[in-house]
Amino acid sequence: MFSLYKKELQSFFFSPFAYVLTALFMFIFSLAFALQIGNLDSNTLKFSFPNIFYNNFFYFIFIIPILTMRSFADERRGGTEVLLISSPLSVFKIVMAKFFAIATVFLFMLAFSLFFPIVTAINGEVMWSSLICAYIGFYFWGLACIALGMLLSSLTEYAIIAAILGEIIMEGLLFLDNFALTSLVAAYPALDSIVKWFSLQHRFYYFAQGMFRLEDLIFFLSAIAVVLAWTTIAIEKRRWSRA
Amino acid sequence: MVEIKNLTKYYGRNPAVRGIDFEIRDNEILGFLGPNGAGKSTTMNIIAGFLPSTGGTVIVNGFDITEQAAQAKKCIGYLPEIPPVYPDMRVEEYLNFVAGIKGVKKADRKQQIESAMERLRITDMRKRLIRNLSKGYKQRVGFAQALLGNPKILILDEPTVGLDPSQVIEVRNLILDLKKDHSIIFSSHILAEVSAVCERVVIINKGEIMAIDTIENLRKSMVSKNQLSLKVEGDKDKVVRLLKDIRGVGDITDINFISTGVYTYKVEIETEDIRKEILSVLVANDCGVMEVSMATLDLEQVFMKLTTQTQKRSSLEELLDESPADADEPDNKEE
Repeated sequence: MFSLYKKELQSFFFSPFAYVLTALFMFIFSLAFALQIGNLDSNTLKFSFPNIFYNNFFYFIFIIPILTMRSFADERRGGTEVLLISSPLSVFKIVMAKFFAIATVFLFMLAFSLFFPIVTAINGEVMWSSLICAYIGFYFWGLACIALGMLLSSLTEYAIIAAILGEIIMEGLLFLDNFALTSLVAAYPALDSIVKWFSLQHRFYYFAQGMFRLEDLIFFLSAIAVVLAWTTIAIEKRRWSRA
Repeated sequence: MVEIKNLTKYYGRNPAVRGIDFEIRDNEILGFLGPNGAGKSTTMNIIAGFLPSTGGTVIVNGFDITEQAAQAKKCIGYLPEIPPVYPDMRVEEYLNFVAGIKGVKKADRKQQIESAMERLRITDMRKRLIRNLSKGYKQRVGFAQALLGNPKILILDEPTVGLDPSQVIEVRNLILDLKKDHSIIFSSHILAEVSAVCERVVIINKGEIMAIDTIENLRKSMVSKNQLSLKVEGDKDKVVRLLKDIRGVGDITDINFISTGVYTYKVEIETEDIRKEILSVLVANDCGVMEVSMATLDLEQVFMKLTTQTQKRSSLEELLDESPADADEPDNKEE
Protein backbone atom coordinates (compact mmCIF):
# COMPACT_ATOMS: atom_id res chain seq x y z
CA MET A 1 0.00 0.00 0.00
CA PHE A 2 2.89 2.33 0.77
CA SER A 3 4.30 1.72 -2.73
CA LEU A 4 1.07 2.90 -4.28
CA TYR A 5 0.97 5.92 -1.96
CA LYS A 6 4.52 6.77 -2.95
CA LYS A 7 3.81 6.35 -6.65
CA GLU A 8 0.75 8.60 -6.38
CA LEU A 9 2.76 11.28 -4.59
CA GLN A 10 5.43 11.06 -7.25
CA SER A 11 2.87 11.51 -9.98
CA PHE A 12 1.93 14.82 -8.33
CA PHE A 13 5.36 16.08 -7.37
CA PHE A 14 7.46 14.81 -10.29
CA SER A 15 5.13 16.67 -12.63
CA PRO A 16 4.15 20.35 -12.53
CA PHE A 17 0.73 19.31 -11.27
CA ALA A 18 1.16 19.85 -7.53
CA TYR A 19 3.13 23.04 -8.01
CA VAL A 20 0.72 24.67 -10.44
CA LEU A 21 -2.20 23.90 -8.15
CA THR A 22 -0.30 25.20 -5.14
CA ALA A 23 0.51 28.35 -7.06
CA LEU A 24 -3.17 28.78 -7.92
CA PHE A 25 -4.09 28.29 -4.28
CA MET A 26 -1.47 30.82 -3.17
CA PHE A 27 -2.66 33.26 -5.81
CA ILE A 28 -6.26 33.13 -4.62
CA PHE A 29 -5.09 33.43 -1.06
CA SER A 30 -2.80 36.37 -1.78
CA LEU A 31 -5.55 38.32 -3.56
CA ALA A 32 -7.87 37.83 -0.61
CA PHE A 33 -5.04 38.77 1.72
CA ALA A 34 -4.43 42.01 -0.20
CA LEU A 35 -8.15 42.82 -0.05
CA GLN A 36 -8.18 42.26 3.71
CA ILE A 37 -5.26 44.61 4.19
CA GLY A 38 -6.87 47.18 1.91
CA ASN A 39 -9.97 47.02 4.07
CA LEU A 40 -8.17 47.41 7.39
CA ASP A 41 -10.14 49.27 9.97
CA SER A 42 -7.90 52.24 10.81
CA ASN A 43 -8.86 52.09 14.50
CA THR A 44 -8.25 48.47 15.38
CA LEU A 45 -5.95 47.35 12.53
CA LYS A 46 -7.47 43.87 12.80
CA PHE A 47 -8.35 41.32 10.17
CA SER A 48 -9.10 37.64 10.22
CA PHE A 49 -7.32 34.85 8.36
CA PRO A 50 -10.17 32.43 8.93
CA ASN A 51 -12.33 34.95 7.13
CA ILE A 52 -10.11 34.59 4.08
CA PHE A 53 -10.93 30.89 3.99
CA TYR A 54 -14.55 31.49 4.78
CA ASN A 55 -15.07 34.18 2.16
CA ASN A 56 -13.18 32.40 -0.59
CA PHE A 57 -14.78 29.00 -0.42
CA PHE A 58 -16.14 29.65 -3.85
CA TYR A 59 -12.63 29.75 -5.29
CA PHE A 60 -10.98 27.11 -3.15
CA ILE A 61 -13.75 24.69 -3.90
CA PHE A 62 -12.74 24.61 -7.57
CA ILE A 63 -9.25 23.37 -6.82
CA ILE A 64 -10.25 20.09 -5.20
CA PRO A 65 -11.85 18.39 -8.24
CA ILE A 66 -8.77 19.21 -10.28
CA LEU A 67 -6.69 17.52 -7.63
CA THR A 68 -8.81 14.37 -7.63
CA MET A 69 -9.94 14.10 -11.25
CA ARG A 70 -7.15 11.80 -12.38
CA SER A 71 -7.12 9.41 -9.44
CA PHE A 72 -9.18 6.60 -10.97
CA ALA A 73 -10.21 7.93 -14.38
CA ASP A 74 -6.63 7.91 -15.63
CA GLU A 75 -6.00 4.40 -14.36
CA ARG A 76 -8.95 3.18 -16.32
CA ARG A 77 -8.01 5.07 -19.42
CA GLY A 78 -4.39 3.96 -19.42
CA GLY A 79 -5.25 0.30 -18.77
CA THR A 80 -3.29 0.33 -15.53
CA GLU A 81 -6.39 -0.41 -13.48
CA VAL A 82 -5.81 -4.05 -14.45
CA LEU A 83 -2.40 -3.94 -12.80
CA LEU A 84 -3.74 -2.54 -9.54
CA ILE A 85 -6.75 -4.81 -9.28
CA SER A 86 -4.90 -7.97 -10.27
CA SER A 87 -2.24 -7.18 -7.67
CA PRO A 88 -2.63 -8.62 -4.17
CA LEU A 89 -3.85 -5.21 -2.91
CA SER A 90 -7.52 -5.04 -2.05
CA VAL A 91 -9.65 -2.34 -3.66
CA PHE A 92 -10.08 -0.66 -0.28
CA LYS A 93 -6.33 -0.39 0.17
CA ILE A 94 -5.99 1.08 -3.31
CA VAL A 95 -8.61 3.69 -2.47
CA MET A 96 -6.94 4.51 0.84
CA ALA A 97 -3.48 4.82 -0.70
CA LYS A 98 -4.78 7.24 -3.28
CA PHE A 99 -6.75 9.18 -0.70
CA PHE A 100 -3.74 9.63 1.57
CA ALA A 101 -1.60 10.72 -1.37
CA ILE A 102 -4.05 13.44 -2.37
CA ALA A 103 -4.49 14.41 1.28
CA THR A 104 -0.72 14.87 1.46
CA VAL A 105 -0.71 17.14 -1.60
CA PHE A 106 -3.52 19.17 -0.06
CA LEU A 107 -1.54 19.45 3.16
CA PHE A 108 1.42 20.69 1.11
CA MET A 109 -0.79 23.39 -0.45
CA LEU A 110 -2.11 24.46 2.91
CA ALA A 111 1.35 24.54 4.43
CA PHE A 112 2.44 26.98 1.74
CA SER A 113 -0.38 29.34 2.61
CA LEU A 114 1.08 29.65 6.13
CA PHE A 115 3.47 32.05 4.44
CA PHE A 116 0.94 34.87 4.89
CA PRO A 117 0.33 34.51 8.63
CA ILE A 118 4.08 34.13 9.17
CA VAL A 119 4.81 37.36 7.32
CA THR A 120 2.04 39.01 9.34
CA ALA A 121 3.48 37.64 12.59
CA ILE A 122 6.85 39.17 11.78
CA ASN A 123 5.33 42.59 11.38
CA GLY A 124 2.45 42.29 13.83
CA GLU A 125 0.57 39.87 15.95
CA VAL A 126 -1.25 36.67 14.98
CA MET A 127 -3.71 34.72 17.12
CA TRP A 128 -2.16 31.33 16.43
CA SER A 129 -4.62 29.21 18.42
CA SER A 130 -7.62 30.38 16.46
CA LEU A 131 -5.67 30.29 13.21
CA ILE A 132 -4.61 26.69 13.71
CA CYS A 133 -8.17 25.76 14.53
CA ALA A 134 -9.29 27.32 11.26
CA TYR A 135 -6.59 25.45 9.37
CA ILE A 136 -7.67 22.14 10.90
CA GLY A 137 -11.25 22.87 9.96
CA PHE A 138 -10.30 23.82 6.44
CA TYR A 139 -8.16 20.71 6.07
CA PHE A 140 -11.00 18.42 7.11
CA TRP A 141 -13.38 20.25 4.82
CA GLY A 142 -10.85 19.64 2.04
CA LEU A 143 -10.54 15.94 2.88
CA ALA A 144 -14.29 15.48 2.65
CA CYS A 145 -14.28 17.15 -0.77
CA ILE A 146 -11.30 15.04 -1.86
CA ALA A 147 -13.16 11.86 -0.96
CA LEU A 148 -16.10 13.11 -3.00
CA GLY A 149 -13.86 13.98 -5.93
CA MET A 150 -12.33 10.50 -5.87
CA LEU A 151 -15.76 8.92 -5.93
CA LEU A 152 -16.60 10.91 -9.06
CA SER A 153 -13.30 10.00 -10.65
CA SER A 154 -14.04 6.32 -10.11
CA LEU A 155 -17.28 6.67 -12.04
CA THR A 156 -15.84 7.81 -15.35
CA GLU A 157 -13.01 7.12 -17.72
CA TYR A 158 -12.33 10.74 -18.55
CA ALA A 159 -10.48 12.87 -16.02
CA ILE A 160 -11.99 16.05 -17.40
CA ILE A 161 -15.52 14.74 -16.95
CA ALA A 162 -14.65 13.79 -13.38
CA ALA A 163 -13.45 17.35 -12.85
CA ILE A 164 -16.57 18.92 -14.34
CA LEU A 165 -18.85 16.61 -12.35
CA GLY A 166 -16.82 17.57 -9.30
CA GLU A 167 -17.32 21.26 -9.96
CA ILE A 168 -21.05 20.70 -10.32
CA ILE A 169 -21.27 18.81 -7.03
CA MET A 170 -19.09 21.40 -5.29
CA GLU A 171 -21.30 24.14 -6.67
CA GLY A 172 -24.27 22.22 -5.28
CA LEU A 173 -22.61 22.03 -1.87
CA LEU A 174 -21.92 25.74 -2.02
CA PHE A 175 -25.53 26.37 -2.84
CA LEU A 176 -26.50 24.30 0.18
CA ASP A 177 -24.19 26.48 2.31
CA ASN A 178 -25.79 29.68 1.08
CA PHE A 179 -29.26 28.21 1.15
CA ALA A 180 -28.75 27.45 4.84
CA LEU A 181 -28.45 31.18 5.48
CA THR A 182 -31.61 32.25 3.67
CA SER A 183 -34.64 33.50 5.51
CA LEU A 184 -36.73 30.82 3.83
CA VAL A 185 -34.80 28.08 5.60
CA ALA A 186 -34.73 30.07 8.82
CA ALA A 187 -38.54 30.13 8.75
CA TYR A 188 -38.75 26.35 9.08
CA PRO A 189 -36.72 25.15 12.09
CA ALA A 190 -36.77 21.50 11.03
CA LEU A 191 -35.49 22.29 7.55
CA ASP A 192 -33.00 24.71 9.04
CA SER A 193 -31.43 22.09 11.27
CA ILE A 194 -31.22 19.53 8.46
CA VAL A 195 -29.67 21.89 5.92
CA LYS A 196 -27.23 23.29 8.47
CA TRP A 197 -26.32 19.77 9.53
CA PHE A 198 -25.18 18.93 6.02
CA SER A 199 -23.67 22.30 5.19
CA LEU A 200 -19.89 21.93 5.11
CA GLN A 201 -19.28 25.65 5.26
CA HIS A 202 -21.50 25.92 8.30
CA ARG A 203 -19.39 23.26 9.98
CA PHE A 204 -16.28 25.13 9.01
CA TYR A 205 -17.75 28.32 10.47
CA TYR A 206 -17.24 26.97 14.00
CA PHE A 207 -13.63 26.10 13.29
CA ALA A 208 -13.16 29.59 11.81
CA GLN A 209 -14.49 31.05 15.05
CA GLY A 210 -11.78 29.17 16.88
CA MET A 211 -14.23 26.64 18.26
CA PHE A 212 -13.07 23.05 18.04
CA ARG A 213 -16.26 21.04 18.34
CA LEU A 214 -15.97 17.26 18.43
CA GLU A 215 -19.31 17.09 16.67
CA ASP A 216 -17.91 18.83 13.60
CA LEU A 217 -14.79 16.71 13.54
CA ILE A 218 -16.88 13.55 13.72
CA PHE A 219 -19.13 14.85 10.98
CA PHE A 220 -16.18 15.34 8.65
CA LEU A 221 -14.56 12.03 9.55
CA SER A 222 -17.74 10.06 9.04
CA ALA A 223 -18.47 11.87 5.78
CA ILE A 224 -15.00 10.91 4.56
CA ALA A 225 -15.45 7.30 5.68
CA VAL A 226 -18.83 6.97 3.98
CA VAL A 227 -17.66 8.46 0.70
CA LEU A 228 -14.47 6.37 0.60
CA ALA A 229 -16.48 3.23 1.29
CA TRP A 230 -18.81 4.28 -1.50
CA THR A 231 -15.81 4.70 -3.81
CA THR A 232 -14.62 1.19 -2.97
CA ILE A 233 -18.05 -0.21 -3.68
CA ALA A 234 -18.33 1.77 -6.93
CA ILE A 235 -15.07 0.28 -8.20
CA GLU A 236 -16.06 -3.24 -7.15
CA LYS A 237 -19.43 -2.82 -8.76
CA ARG A 238 -17.91 -1.74 -12.02
CA ARG A 239 -15.81 -4.90 -12.12
CA TRP A 240 -19.02 -6.90 -11.97
CA SER A 241 -21.03 -4.95 -14.46
CA ARG A 242 -18.37 -3.95 -16.96
CA ALA A 243 -19.61 -4.35 -20.50
CA MET B 1 -1.55 -25.52 -10.96
CA VAL B 2 -4.65 -23.74 -12.21
CA GLU B 3 -8.04 -25.38 -12.46
CA ILE B 4 -10.87 -23.72 -14.28
CA LYS B 5 -14.25 -25.26 -13.77
CA ASN B 6 -17.45 -24.38 -15.55
CA LEU B 7 -16.37 -20.77 -15.92
CA THR B 8 -19.11 -18.48 -17.15
CA LYS B 9 -19.15 -14.77 -17.73
CA TYR B 10 -21.98 -12.59 -18.91
CA TYR B 11 -21.63 -8.96 -19.91
CA GLY B 12 -25.14 -7.82 -19.26
CA ARG B 13 -27.16 -10.38 -21.17
CA ASN B 14 -24.39 -11.29 -23.59
CA PRO B 15 -22.44 -14.38 -22.74
CA ALA B 16 -18.70 -13.85 -23.24
CA VAL B 17 -17.61 -17.18 -21.82
CA ARG B 18 -19.88 -20.18 -21.40
CA GLY B 19 -19.03 -23.09 -19.13
CA ILE B 20 -15.31 -23.40 -19.81
CA ASP B 21 -13.33 -26.23 -18.17
CA PHE B 22 -9.62 -26.74 -18.45
CA GLU B 23 -6.47 -26.88 -16.39
CA ILE B 24 -2.96 -25.54 -16.61
CA ARG B 25 -0.50 -28.19 -15.48
CA ASP B 26 2.77 -27.63 -13.67
CA ASN B 27 5.56 -26.33 -15.88
CA GLU B 28 3.64 -26.42 -19.09
CA ILE B 29 2.94 -23.81 -21.70
CA LEU B 30 -0.71 -23.87 -22.56
CA GLY B 31 -1.75 -22.12 -25.73
CA PHE B 32 -5.05 -20.33 -25.69
CA LEU B 33 -6.24 -19.90 -29.19
CA GLY B 34 -9.23 -18.27 -30.72
CA PRO B 35 -10.32 -15.55 -33.12
CA ASN B 36 -10.82 -12.00 -31.93
CA GLY B 37 -13.77 -11.70 -29.61
CA ALA B 38 -13.76 -15.38 -28.72
CA GLY B 39 -13.49 -14.72 -24.99
CA LYS B 40 -9.74 -15.16 -24.58
CA SER B 41 -9.08 -11.90 -22.80
CA THR B 42 -12.18 -12.25 -20.66
CA THR B 43 -11.07 -15.68 -19.50
CA MET B 44 -7.58 -14.44 -18.75
CA ASN B 45 -8.90 -11.42 -16.89
CA ILE B 46 -10.96 -13.75 -14.73
CA ILE B 47 -8.04 -16.07 -14.01
CA ALA B 48 -5.90 -13.06 -13.08
CA GLY B 49 -8.59 -11.88 -10.68
CA PHE B 50 -9.32 -8.65 -12.51
CA LEU B 51 -12.87 -9.55 -13.45
CA PRO B 52 -15.19 -11.59 -11.29
CA SER B 53 -16.89 -14.49 -13.05
CA THR B 54 -20.64 -14.90 -13.30
CA GLY B 55 -20.36 -18.57 -12.47
CA GLY B 56 -17.82 -21.35 -11.99
CA THR B 57 -14.55 -21.44 -10.12
CA VAL B 58 -10.90 -20.73 -10.72
CA ILE B 59 -8.45 -22.39 -8.34
CA VAL B 60 -4.93 -21.02 -8.54
CA ASN B 61 -2.28 -23.06 -6.77
CA GLY B 62 -4.92 -24.26 -4.33
CA PHE B 63 -6.43 -20.82 -3.69
CA ASP B 64 -9.82 -19.76 -4.98
CA ILE B 65 -9.46 -16.53 -6.92
CA THR B 66 -12.56 -14.98 -5.36
CA GLU B 67 -12.43 -16.46 -1.88
CA GLN B 68 -8.70 -16.16 -1.21
CA ALA B 69 -7.95 -13.42 -3.69
CA ALA B 70 -4.76 -12.03 -2.17
CA GLN B 71 -3.00 -15.39 -1.86
CA ALA B 72 -4.12 -16.48 -5.33
CA LYS B 73 -3.02 -13.21 -6.92
CA LYS B 74 0.43 -13.54 -5.39
CA CYS B 75 0.94 -16.68 -7.49
CA ILE B 76 0.07 -14.89 -10.73
CA GLY B 77 2.02 -12.68 -13.05
CA TYR B 78 -0.28 -11.09 -15.58
CA LEU B 79 0.54 -9.33 -18.80
CA PRO B 80 -2.72 -7.94 -20.17
CA GLU B 81 -3.31 -7.20 -23.83
CA ILE B 82 -2.40 -3.54 -23.37
CA PRO B 83 0.74 -3.38 -21.22
CA PRO B 84 -0.32 -1.70 -17.95
CA VAL B 85 2.43 0.89 -17.78
CA TYR B 86 2.43 4.47 -16.56
CA PRO B 87 3.79 6.72 -19.32
CA ASP B 88 5.10 9.26 -16.81
CA MET B 89 7.32 6.82 -14.95
CA ARG B 90 10.80 5.62 -15.70
CA VAL B 91 11.27 1.92 -16.39
CA GLU B 92 13.14 1.09 -13.20
CA GLU B 93 10.90 3.28 -11.08
CA TYR B 94 7.86 1.54 -12.53
CA LEU B 95 9.22 -1.93 -11.86
CA ASN B 96 10.08 -0.87 -8.34
CA PHE B 97 6.51 0.28 -7.85
CA VAL B 98 5.05 -2.96 -9.18
CA ALA B 99 7.38 -5.01 -6.96
CA GLY B 100 6.06 -2.91 -4.07
CA ILE B 101 2.38 -3.49 -4.73
CA LYS B 102 3.05 -7.18 -5.28
CA GLY B 103 4.53 -7.31 -1.81
CA VAL B 104 8.08 -8.23 -2.82
CA LYS B 105 10.33 -7.74 0.20
CA LYS B 106 12.62 -4.71 0.02
CA ALA B 107 15.73 -6.85 0.25
CA ASP B 108 14.73 -8.92 -2.80
CA ARG B 109 13.40 -6.09 -4.91
CA LYS B 110 16.62 -4.90 -6.46
CA GLN B 111 17.74 -8.36 -7.46
CA GLN B 112 14.35 -9.30 -8.91
CA ILE B 113 14.11 -6.09 -10.91
CA GLU B 114 17.62 -6.53 -12.26
CA SER B 115 16.97 -10.08 -13.35
CA ALA B 116 13.61 -9.19 -14.94
CA MET B 117 15.22 -6.31 -16.84
CA GLU B 118 18.03 -8.54 -17.96
CA ARG B 119 15.66 -11.24 -19.16
CA LEU B 120 13.68 -8.75 -21.22
CA ARG B 121 16.82 -6.87 -22.30
CA ILE B 122 15.62 -3.51 -21.07
CA THR B 123 18.52 -2.85 -18.72
CA ASP B 124 19.73 -0.07 -21.02
CA MET B 125 16.31 1.54 -20.86
CA ARG B 126 16.05 1.67 -17.08
CA LYS B 127 16.26 5.46 -16.87
CA ARG B 128 14.00 6.15 -19.85
CA LEU B 129 10.49 7.50 -19.47
CA ILE B 130 8.03 4.84 -20.53
CA ARG B 131 6.15 7.35 -22.68
CA ASN B 132 9.24 7.63 -24.90
CA LEU B 133 9.60 3.90 -25.47
CA SER B 134 8.48 2.14 -28.65
CA LYS B 135 5.56 -0.26 -28.59
CA GLY B 136 7.90 -3.24 -28.48
CA TYR B 137 9.76 -1.92 -25.47
CA LYS B 138 6.55 -1.01 -23.66
CA GLN B 139 5.45 -4.58 -24.21
CA ARG B 140 8.72 -5.80 -22.71
CA VAL B 141 8.35 -3.53 -19.70
CA GLY B 142 4.87 -4.96 -19.24
CA PHE B 143 6.33 -8.45 -19.49
CA ALA B 144 9.07 -7.65 -16.97
CA GLN B 145 6.38 -6.45 -14.59
CA ALA B 146 4.65 -9.84 -14.80
CA LEU B 147 7.83 -11.62 -13.71
CA LEU B 148 8.21 -9.65 -10.47
CA GLY B 149 7.37 -11.47 -7.29
CA ASN B 150 8.40 -14.79 -8.88
CA PRO B 151 4.85 -15.89 -9.60
CA LYS B 152 4.39 -19.58 -10.36
CA ILE B 153 1.82 -18.85 -13.02
CA LEU B 154 2.22 -16.47 -15.90
CA ILE B 155 -0.78 -15.27 -17.83
CA LEU B 156 0.27 -13.70 -21.10
CA ASP B 157 -2.39 -12.11 -23.24
CA GLU B 158 -1.06 -11.85 -26.77
CA PRO B 159 2.50 -11.08 -25.66
CA THR B 160 3.91 -10.79 -29.18
CA VAL B 161 1.43 -8.33 -30.66
CA GLY B 162 3.19 -5.28 -32.00
CA LEU B 163 6.68 -6.74 -31.88
CA ASP B 164 8.99 -6.99 -34.87
CA PRO B 165 9.96 -10.49 -36.09
CA SER B 166 13.27 -10.65 -34.22
CA GLN B 167 11.58 -9.51 -31.02
CA VAL B 168 8.90 -12.14 -31.55
CA ILE B 169 11.59 -14.81 -31.62
CA GLU B 170 13.19 -13.35 -28.51
CA VAL B 171 9.90 -13.42 -26.66
CA ARG B 172 9.28 -17.01 -27.78
CA ASN B 173 12.67 -18.05 -26.47
CA LEU B 174 12.00 -16.23 -23.25
CA ILE B 175 8.71 -18.04 -22.80
CA LEU B 176 10.41 -21.38 -23.45
CA ASP B 177 13.07 -20.44 -20.93
CA LEU B 178 10.49 -19.41 -18.31
CA LYS B 179 8.82 -22.78 -18.63
CA LYS B 180 11.45 -24.30 -16.34
CA ASP B 181 9.95 -22.76 -13.24
CA HIS B 182 6.58 -21.41 -14.33
CA SER B 183 3.27 -22.63 -15.65
CA ILE B 184 2.30 -20.43 -18.53
CA ILE B 185 -0.94 -19.71 -20.30
CA PHE B 186 -0.44 -17.79 -23.45
CA SER B 187 -3.13 -16.51 -25.76
CA SER B 188 -2.93 -15.67 -29.40
CA HIS B 189 -4.98 -15.61 -32.52
CA ILE B 190 -1.97 -16.61 -34.58
CA LEU B 191 -1.62 -20.36 -34.87
CA ALA B 192 2.04 -20.40 -35.85
CA GLU B 193 2.77 -18.43 -32.73
CA VAL B 194 1.10 -20.94 -30.48
CA SER B 195 2.49 -23.99 -32.24
CA ALA B 196 6.02 -22.64 -31.82
CA VAL B 197 5.98 -22.67 -28.03
CA CYS B 198 3.03 -24.58 -26.61
CA GLU B 199 2.63 -28.24 -25.83
CA ARG B 200 -1.10 -28.17 -25.47
CA VAL B 201 -3.69 -25.87 -26.91
CA VAL B 202 -7.14 -24.87 -25.87
CA ILE B 203 -9.15 -23.64 -28.80
CA ILE B 204 -12.00 -21.36 -27.95
CA ASN B 205 -14.63 -19.74 -30.07
CA LYS B 206 -17.66 -17.69 -29.13
CA GLY B 207 -17.01 -18.33 -25.46
CA GLU B 208 -16.92 -22.11 -25.75
CA ILE B 209 -14.08 -24.56 -25.91
CA MET B 210 -13.88 -26.19 -29.32
CA ALA B 211 -11.02 -28.55 -28.53
CA ILE B 212 -8.19 -29.22 -26.12
CA ASP B 213 -5.35 -31.20 -27.59
CA THR B 214 -1.59 -31.49 -27.93
CA ILE B 215 0.25 -29.52 -30.52
CA GLU B 216 1.52 -32.74 -32.15
CA ASN B 217 -2.00 -33.73 -32.97
CA LEU B 218 -2.58 -30.30 -34.36
CA ARG B 219 0.43 -30.62 -36.62
CA LYS B 220 -0.51 -34.14 -37.69
CA SER B 221 -4.00 -33.12 -38.55
CA MET B 222 -2.70 -30.41 -40.77
CA VAL B 223 -1.24 -32.85 -43.28
CA SER B 224 -3.79 -34.04 -45.75
CA LYS B 225 -2.83 -37.54 -46.88
CA ASN B 226 -4.69 -37.72 -50.11
CA GLN B 227 -3.93 -34.44 -51.73
CA LEU B 228 -1.00 -33.62 -53.95
CA SER B 229 0.22 -30.12 -54.58
CA LEU B 230 1.76 -29.56 -58.03
CA LYS B 231 3.47 -26.67 -59.73
CA VAL B 232 3.64 -27.28 -63.47
CA GLU B 233 4.82 -25.32 -66.46
CA GLY B 234 2.52 -25.84 -69.43
CA ASP B 235 -0.93 -25.11 -70.77
CA LYS B 236 -3.48 -25.20 -67.96
CA ASP B 237 -6.21 -27.05 -69.86
CA LYS B 238 -3.76 -29.60 -71.18
CA VAL B 239 -2.42 -30.35 -67.73
CA VAL B 240 -5.90 -30.73 -66.31
CA ARG B 241 -6.88 -33.03 -69.18
CA LEU B 242 -3.77 -35.18 -68.73
CA LEU B 243 -4.31 -35.48 -65.01
CA LYS B 244 -7.95 -36.38 -65.35
CA ASP B 245 -7.05 -39.27 -67.66
CA ILE B 246 -4.97 -40.94 -65.00
CA ARG B 247 -6.86 -43.56 -63.03
CA GLY B 248 -7.16 -42.71 -59.35
CA VAL B 249 -7.09 -38.97 -59.75
CA GLY B 250 -10.07 -37.21 -58.24
CA ASP B 251 -10.91 -33.55 -58.17
CA ILE B 252 -8.47 -30.95 -59.30
CA THR B 253 -8.95 -27.75 -57.35
CA ASP B 254 -7.22 -24.57 -56.47
CA ILE B 255 -5.65 -23.84 -59.84
CA ASN B 256 -3.62 -20.72 -59.30
CA PHE B 257 -1.66 -18.62 -61.75
CA ILE B 258 1.99 -18.18 -60.75
CA SER B 259 3.68 -16.73 -63.82
CA THR B 260 3.20 -17.04 -67.59
CA GLY B 261 2.41 -20.66 -68.31
CA VAL B 262 3.00 -21.77 -64.74
CA TYR B 263 0.14 -22.82 -62.47
CA THR B 264 -0.27 -24.63 -59.19
CA TYR B 265 -2.83 -27.39 -58.78
CA LYS B 266 -4.26 -29.34 -55.87
CA VAL B 267 -4.96 -32.88 -56.98
CA GLU B 268 -6.92 -35.42 -55.00
CA ILE B 269 -5.48 -38.90 -55.33
CA GLU B 270 -6.72 -42.26 -54.16
CA THR B 271 -3.35 -43.66 -53.14
CA GLU B 272 0.11 -42.25 -52.89
CA ASP B 273 1.37 -44.76 -55.49
CA ILE B 274 -0.02 -42.88 -58.43
CA ARG B 275 2.29 -39.97 -57.76
CA LYS B 276 4.93 -41.55 -60.01
CA GLU B 277 2.46 -42.07 -62.79
CA ILE B 278 1.34 -38.49 -62.62
CA LEU B 279 4.89 -37.29 -62.92
CA SER B 280 5.80 -39.53 -65.83
CA VAL B 281 2.64 -38.60 -67.74
CA LEU B 282 3.32 -34.92 -67.30
CA VAL B 283 6.97 -35.17 -68.27
CA ALA B 284 6.19 -37.38 -71.29
CA ASN B 285 3.78 -34.71 -72.53
CA ASP B 286 6.32 -31.96 -72.31
CA CYS B 287 4.99 -30.32 -69.16
CA GLY B 288 7.76 -29.19 -66.85
CA VAL B 289 7.02 -30.24 -63.30
CA MET B 290 8.54 -27.65 -61.02
CA GLU B 291 7.31 -28.79 -57.62
CA VAL B 292 5.52 -31.75 -56.10
CA SER B 293 4.53 -32.05 -52.48
CA MET B 294 1.87 -33.53 -50.26
CA ALA B 295 -0.64 -30.79 -49.77
CA THR B 296 -0.90 -29.45 -46.24
CA LEU B 297 -3.78 -27.46 -45.03
CA ASP B 298 -2.23 -24.16 -44.24
CA LEU B 299 -2.54 -22.90 -40.72
CA GLU B 300 -5.17 -20.38 -41.61
CA GLN B 301 -7.35 -23.05 -43.14
CA VAL B 302 -7.07 -25.22 -40.06
CA PHE B 303 -7.89 -22.27 -37.95
CA MET B 304 -10.86 -21.33 -40.07
CA LYS B 305 -12.04 -24.87 -39.85
CA LEU B 306 -11.65 -25.01 -36.12
CA THR B 307 -13.33 -21.76 -35.42
CA THR B 308 -16.23 -22.10 -37.80
CA GLN B 309 -17.32 -25.29 -36.07
CA THR B 310 -20.40 -24.94 -34.02
CA GLN B 311 -20.20 -28.23 -32.18
CA LYS B 312 -17.93 -29.15 -29.36
CA ARG B 313 -15.30 -31.82 -30.11
CA SER B 314 -13.05 -33.79 -27.86
CA SER B 315 -9.94 -33.73 -30.04
CA LEU B 316 -8.49 -31.94 -32.99
CA GLU B 317 -8.51 -35.02 -35.13
CA GLU B 318 -12.20 -35.38 -34.74
CA LEU B 319 -12.62 -31.76 -35.67
CA LEU B 320 -10.51 -31.94 -38.79
CA ASP B 321 -11.95 -35.22 -40.05
CA GLU B 322 -15.18 -33.48 -40.83
CA SER B 323 -16.87 -34.01 -44.17
CA PRO B 324 -14.72 -32.75 -47.07
CA ALA B 325 -17.48 -30.49 -48.28
CA ASP B 326 -17.08 -28.48 -45.12
CA ALA B 327 -13.35 -28.53 -45.37
CA ASP B 328 -13.19 -27.15 -48.85
CA GLU B 329 -15.38 -24.23 -48.11
CA PRO B 330 -12.61 -21.74 -47.37
CA ASP B 331 -10.80 -22.84 -50.54
CA ASN B 332 -13.78 -22.22 -52.73
CA LYS B 333 -14.20 -18.78 -51.35
CA GLU B 334 -10.64 -17.94 -52.25
CA GLU B 335 -11.19 -18.84 -55.87
